[in-house]
Amino acid sequence: MSNYIPTIGIEVHVELKTNTKIFSPSRNGYGMSANTLVNEIDLGYPGTLPLINREVLNIAIKAAKVLHCNIRKEMHFDRKNYFYPDNPKNYQITQARTPIGYDGYVEIEVDGKIKKIEIEEMHIEEDTCKSAHRKNVTLLDFNRAGVPLIEIVTKPCINSSKEAMLYIEKLRETLLYANISDCKIEEGSMRCDCNVSIRKSEDSPFGTKVEVKNIGSISNVGLSVEKEIVRQTELYDKGESFKEQTRRFDSKLNDTVLMRIKETGNDYRYFPEPDIPYVYLTDEMINKVTSTIPLLPDERRELYKGRNISKINIEKIIANKSLSDFLNNFLEEKIDFQVASNLLLGDISSYLNKEGKIITDTMLDNERFIDLVNRSSTRELTSKNIKEILVDLLESDKTLDEIIKDKGINNINDESVVKDIVLQVLAENEESVRDYLEGHDRALKYLMGQVMKISKGSADPLLASDLLKEFLDKKK
Amino acid sequence: MDEILTREEVLHVADLAKIRIKEEEMEKYQKELKIIFNDIEKINEVEGYDDDIIIAPFSSEARLRDDEVERHIEIESTLKNVPRHSGNYIEVPVVINE
Repeated sequence: MSNYIPTIGIEVHVELKTNTKIFSPSRNGYGMSANTLVNEIDLGYPGTLPLINREVLNIAIKAAKVLHCNIRKEMHFDRKNYFYPDNPKNYQITQARTPIGYDGYVEIEVDGKIKKIEIEEMHIEEDTCKSAHRKNVTLLDFNRAGVPLIEIVTKPCINSSKEAMLYIEKLRETLLYANISDCKIEEGSMRCDCNVSIRKSEDSPFGTKVEVKNIGSISNVGLSVEKEIVRQTELYDKGESFKEQTRRFDSKLNDTVLMRIKETGNDYRYFPEPDIPYVYLTDEMINKVTSTIPLLPDERRELYKGRNISKINIEKIIANKSLSDFLNNFLEEKIDFQVASNLLLGDISSYLNKEGKIITDTMLDNERFIDLVNRSSTRELTSKNIKEILVDLLESDKTLDEIIKDKGINNINDESVVKDIVLQVLAENEESVRDYLEGHDRALKYLMGQVMKISKGSADPLLASDLLKEFLDKKK
Repeated sequence: MDEILTREEVLHVADLAKIRIKEEEMEKYQKELKIIFNDIEKINEVEGYDDDIIIAPFSSEARLRDDEVERHIEIESTLKNVPRHSGNYIEVPVVINE
């Protein structure tokens, strides 16, 4: 198979987190009984007029800011005309000529190098109703009609399936952190279409473009791009050409499937929406929105790096916004942040996952968390102890001292005491000592078990293990 | 300027409008649509049209609405206005691939 250069452009639609729809005061909600969140505007009844939801503009300004776009202060809306039952007005209200944001970028890290994925433009538009195709009939649910969307369009600057996935992941993370959308791909609040073509070299003209629509997960974005590159390469290798077309990713077949050939370019006959006068954004509006933007993932990464948290822990914390928000409460404290992140990602996360909670649902407060981190980093509390006290810590407001007393935890971390126990164990288990010296590492575990048995589980395990090794090595 | 539209142009417009044109109507549409197209061409010739989109004859500003839920139509009323429904869903003839 020959080598071609893939060129990929991605269009992403995200639903905005508002209370109401973009042009009507009916609720923007998911999972409700069909056609219960609608009014005359959403159903496209004659004589209705759209009225813009102020919050949609605010959120779109925020999106433009976090995607490093320029913001257009004078805008209007356009009608995109087409006939299809998902939109009974026969047009979608969108921004074809004056997108709110343009010339932005998202940074991704590809094999250790930073690449800027350029954003051509991002515009505001209304969602259409949801149609479900049955054998003899199509069923319509207008709850989604009029839900505010932004569409984010990249330049054709993505060159591999890996870059495509990294871009979607980064975009999703950014929009989630900025509270723009809940970005649930499986529920359709984030939808991805990829335009894929391949060409022989950087100097060759772009190849024929294939659009893969409505891809249902980030890994399927990667897969569909991958499959499309292979399919197009095989066709070109056989000397065949193909027409511009729209395909979809079939997750059962694990491949892209033809939807339709584009015989003619889409003719949507855009014209300015006469029912909505000009929209003017003021500096005041933009500044007010900008001041509400929380710390974004990349800013958090830097802060955590500066506090010596391992890269692996940083990524795991960023992947869980509520844990990251919680950790941010302590950024000015003098604590061991690696230990703090281990606690959050280890026992605390296990508890949260098991209980189906997030950290703010628990009783854990800042003061007791700092206490826990400090006692854990000085080894005053062992990992075994932490498992014992965690539920009480998360489900009550008892102090750590109270919980330790209640649980009867009495750790021996006095070196001289642990040393005596270790020497006793070595004296009483000569055979295991010999086994260890002959290279049987398992004997060490047995000896360690004996130390813990004599100390009734309260010897500091790290200290005991260090001392055991020290005395055993002396016998070599 | 051509006096009439080509057959292909008429068929393209008919396709966009989702209507079927009879052969005997073709000549009539080729002529009549051309007159309409010519008028639109004249509008396109107006200077400054491309740079400054005129969406209204006055520069009024869009009024914005607060993000507060007001009212929904009762599902019973919605369904009274549709020819067919299945449960709460509105039924339409099968349409795919568009």
